[in-house]
Amino acid sequence: MTPFDLDRRKFLQTAAAAGAALVLTRPGQLLGQTPPPPGPNSDELRIALIGVGAQGRVLMDDTLKIPNVRFVAVCDIWDYNLTYGQRYLKKNRFPVNAYHDFEDMLSKEKSLDAVIVATPDFWHAPITNACLKSGLHVYCEKMMSNTIDAARTMVQTMRETGKLLQIGHQRRSNPRYLVALHRLIEEAKIPGRITTINGQWNRAVAADLGWPQRYTIAPDVLKRYGFDDMHMFRNWRWFKKCGGGPLSDLGAHQIDIFNWFLGTPPVNVLAGGGNDYYPNHEWFDNAMVIYEYDRPEGVTRAFYQVQTTTSAGGGYYEQFMGTEGTIKMSEDPNYTAIYREANAPDWEKWINLHYLATTSAQAADDDDAASKVDARETAELVSYKLPVILNKPPHQPHLENFFSAIHGKAKLNCPGDEAFRSEVCIHKASEAVLARTMLYLKPEDFVA
Amino acid sequence: MFKFDTLGLTYAFWTLRIWLGLRALVAGLEKFSAKINVQQPLLDQNGVADPSGAVVEVEKKIYGFTHYQAIPDTLQDKFSNEPLLPGFLTTPFYVVLGYVLILLGVALLLGIRTREVLFGMGLLYSILTVGLILIGQEQGVAWLGIHVLVVAAALALVPYNRWTVTRT
Repeated sequence: MTPFDLDRRKFLQTAAAAGAALVLTRPGQLLGQTPPPPGPNSDELRIALIGVGAQGRVLMDDTLKIPNVRFVAVCDIWDYNLTYGQRYLKKNRFPVNAYHDFEDMLSKEKSLDAVIVATPDFWHAPITNACLKSGLHVYCEKMMSNTIDAARTMVQTMRETGKLLQIGHQRRSNPRYLVALHRLIEEAKIPGRITTINGQWNRAVAADLGWPQRYTIAPDVLKRYGFDDMHMFRNWRWFKKCGGGPLSDLGAHQIDIFNWFLGTPPVNVLAGGGNDYYPNHEWFDNAMVIYEYDRPEGVTRAFYQVQTTTSAGGGYYEQFMGTEGTIKMSEDPNYTAIYREANAPDWEKWINLHYLATTSAQAADDDDAASKVDARETAELVSYKLPVILNKPPHQPHLENFFSAIHGKAKLNCPGDEAFRSEVCIHKASEAVLARTMLYLKPEDFVA
Repeated sequence: MFKFDTLGLTYAFWTLRIWLGLRALVAGLEKFSAKINVQQPLLDQNGVADPSGAVVEVEKKIYGFTHYQAIPDTLQDKFSNEPLLPGFLTTPFYVVLGYVLILLGVALLLGIRTREVLFGMGLLYSILTVGLILIGQEQGVAWLGIHVLVVAAALALVPYNRWTVTRT
């Protein structure tokens, strides 16, 4: 396949025009959040984006905020996405080559350092493996794949090639989460012994995605890339051969946090769920999962639910509940809180260090005993807040970590082998939903 | 024969003078304060910045003319709905309230026209009481009533005042 609509001459003309425009740009405009001007720069990374859908656009936007990273190509089988990506990047002073096919792109773009993969899940493994084998570092969106076996090949290729593979569990680079784990749990031991985890992501019902008719992809092209029709292409998350269902789409981020914070994968998983609402989806729409973690200090059980038929229930969060306190984490700071058990040791030291902060509504008076249903009901817990702020988009720190790792200035926060352990947990939970039974996870299941 | 302990009464007045003076001065200064969130790096127990580059938002109190606010927004909203508190009266009152409190406080502490200052203070607290009566904040009314009583007691003890800039 050939580049989509830019030949070499046009590309040079565009680049020259961009260069001329740059000369006319006031120096002040080059400072701040804008990317560096095109031009030779030894520290500059040349990257391509494969998959310019909703998630690809988020990653593209966040990457544009990072200095010394230059987009040189975009790839997508859908003209609608491809044109958007090419125009958007041109508007942001990066004229790029556009490709329909990733193999074509890899054969022509010889100056790439890295790629960002944000395609449907079932294409992650083939594309990532091909890119790693072409000598490129890869940032691949989660899930790694829609099957454990395909995800395993990604880890193996990562090891064989020695290239970097970062999986897009972006919370792992979020300073709010890093502080919660390393400062609040490990150092201050705020929750005490974590006995229970409660997590969820509930979403309201939504219609299937449509598409502008004039942008319908030809049936033979859809078939070549594994889609039965345009509806499947646009709603791939709900089809088993393309994606992993809601536990994979939404639950993956949070179940990954369970494993990360506990430092170990679970030993078994019990789950239930079903296709309760959407008649034309292959994957179940609601699921409830219980994991059991066997830790040196005792068992921790984690409940997780994903509902795609209601947004009720208090948003999306991961709540680590312990003998002395609870840390309720969410990517949304509004859902984040820390609760203190009455028997917890003094937290003053940690408050003074700004690891946590008092809230304005902190009175937990037990003076309304009359309203309690049961005399043995525990008093309402005093709540604190996490004062750490993330003053950039949620994916940016994870991308920054990837680019820093390429420069040898950082260690990947979520390399393929680490993400693989979560991958297994998530796929096994979906398996347990379908099998309607408890599945036992063995250490060898997590070996890639 | 009953004998007044004039030194004791002087001390009693000074106590009231200092309390009322500081009360007005600090209340006035507080109207120029604001709580702002300041971002700073998160440091560990050894003062080392967190490796994640975490930034924490810490609440700090600052003072400045630009932060002047006579009364909280919630109270202002309630007063604006009161027919007996028209805007042409409340607006100029809000503009001068903080400055007046500071002036009265400083004047009382220094002993400048003490009698007039005390009366002015009593008048100001009475005006503030009117607003609270109208919006039904009975606790606030009682609180200001105590202030007025203290002012009245001070006025009664004014003859025992000493150490003043101007004559009482």
